[in-house]
Amino acid sequence: MNTPEIQIKNVGMVYQVNNGEEIVALTDINLDIQEGEFISLLGPSGCGKTTLLRIIADLLQPTSGSVSIRGQSPKEIRMQHKYGIVFQSPVLYDWRTVRRNVCMPMEIMGIPKKERTARITRMLELVGLRDFGNKYPFELSGGMQQRVGIARALALDPEFLLMDEPFSALDEFTREKLNEDLLSIWSKTKKTVIFVTHNIPESVFLSDRVVVLSPHPGRISAIVDIDLPRPRQNSIRETSEFYEHVTKIRRSFEGV
Amino acid sequence: MKNKVINLLWPLAFGVAIILLWQFGIFHKLLDLKPFQLPVPSEIASTLAANLPKTLHDCGVTISGALIGLIIGSFMGFMIAAMATFFPKWGYGGMIVVTALNAVPIVALSPIMNLWFSTGMAQKIGVVTVVCMAAMAINAYSGLNNLKPHSIDLMYSVAANKWTIFKKLRVPNSLPYIFTASKINIASSIIAAIISEYFASSTSGLGFGIKDNLRKAEMAMGWSYIVVASLAGVILYCIILLVERDAIKWHASQK
Repeated sequence: MNTPEIQIKNVGMVYQVNNGEEIVALTDINLDIQEGEFISLLGPSGCGKTTLLRIIADLLQPTSGSVSIRGQSPKEIRMQHKYGIVFQSPVLYDWRTVRRNVCMPMEIMGIPKKERTARITRMLELVGLRDFGNKYPFELSGGMQQRVGIARALALDPEFLLMDEPFSALDEFTREKLNEDLLSIWSKTKKTVIFVTHNIPESVFLSDRVVVLSPHPGRISAIVDIDLPRPRQNSIRETSEFYEHVTKIRRSFEGV
Repeated sequence: MKNKVINLLWPLAFGVAIILLWQFGIFHKLLDLKPFQLPVPSEIASTLAANLPKTLHDCGVTISGALIGLIIGSFMGFMIAAMATFFPKWGYGGMIVVTALNAVPIVALSPIMNLWFSTGMAQKIGVVTVVCMAAMAINAYSGLNNLKPHSIDLMYSVAANKWTIFKKLRVPNSLPYIFTASKINIASSIIAAIISEYFASSTSGLGFGIKDNLRKAEMAMGWSYIVVASLAGVILYCIILLVERDAIKWHASQK
């Protein structure tokens, strides 16, 4: 095996609550992630999966341990604009059209206008919103808004795509459709993806490995390899192999 | 389209009914008023027509003072909100002071300001500025800081600095709030300007016109000034609405 691209060593996160009490959100997290890997962080609410993602993204500082990405700190990676983040809500800026929302991070990075225009067109094509570029966010459905969020994250051509329950607010049909679309986008772009979810089938469908976290305190309770063949289509959800993986992960929760 | 017409028709019919009831003395009977206490609409209209140039000139004096005060006050209010956003520790205290200022009644402020400024115009602008500053500061501060969850994270994740966040996120986010403040301020700036004229030694302006004519028992003339003041307020309010509709067509209030 190569040197892992992302090395998470003994990461812990303790929150101080107002009354002086301490809440241990994460304890003793050790995880190596390979280049181009699709990793899911799976667990119930309060297991610290989002906290872990935010630590990797340099949106939070861990109280102990360290994250190293290609030998650099998350902050250095962030300053080089190598993260693309998709949040739980689409976080579109209401005053910007779809195109200008996708454009926003590139403006900040100082990418030339011509290049931006080309990339926006390409990204909207990729997420299936070619004809919606000049719409405002309020004119789009929830699923479409989330696609814009994905296009925006991909547009800056990040090396790491960090996704925090991006489809959790969507209905099951839209979610499965977007799962499939996400895999097809991933196979074309070959980013390293860290995907936070509380949905077991979703994590199995998408991932190379599922990192199962359990709460109180947040810790890794299992890492499950998903050796289902790729490319995967939604029909794979009906196979017994898929079902076995889902069952295995579900049992790992019952064990804790 | 049909709905729009009906929506417009009802208030219009209501307004006409009020004027008719007023014209034919029903209000006078109900409230036991004599015609010299409450002139009828036709008398007000003819008085206004006869004195239109003078009334419009006085209206211009008041409105120009109100608008200058509105612009200065709104600008200062926004700057206070911006400072409070950039320097939260200091800004919080500043916002408390502004909120307190907002609670000071114009009637109390006006005579005091009268002592500070030598001209009626400066005093008027001063009062209007203070009144408008508070509403703008409070609203703009909300607009600059009530951001959607994660929208700052998004900026942070692409290494945007504070100034970029201000320019590309906070300012556009605050636009609907700024329009709300402007709509409040349009009305209150005219009120503040008129009230300040009551207390000033000025000899022009709507406030002076109302005060002077009521003192001389020229009720119809006094009412003419009230009509002009109302119309000016409505027109300015409509202008703000039109600008708002164009400037924030992406906002929920405009759908």
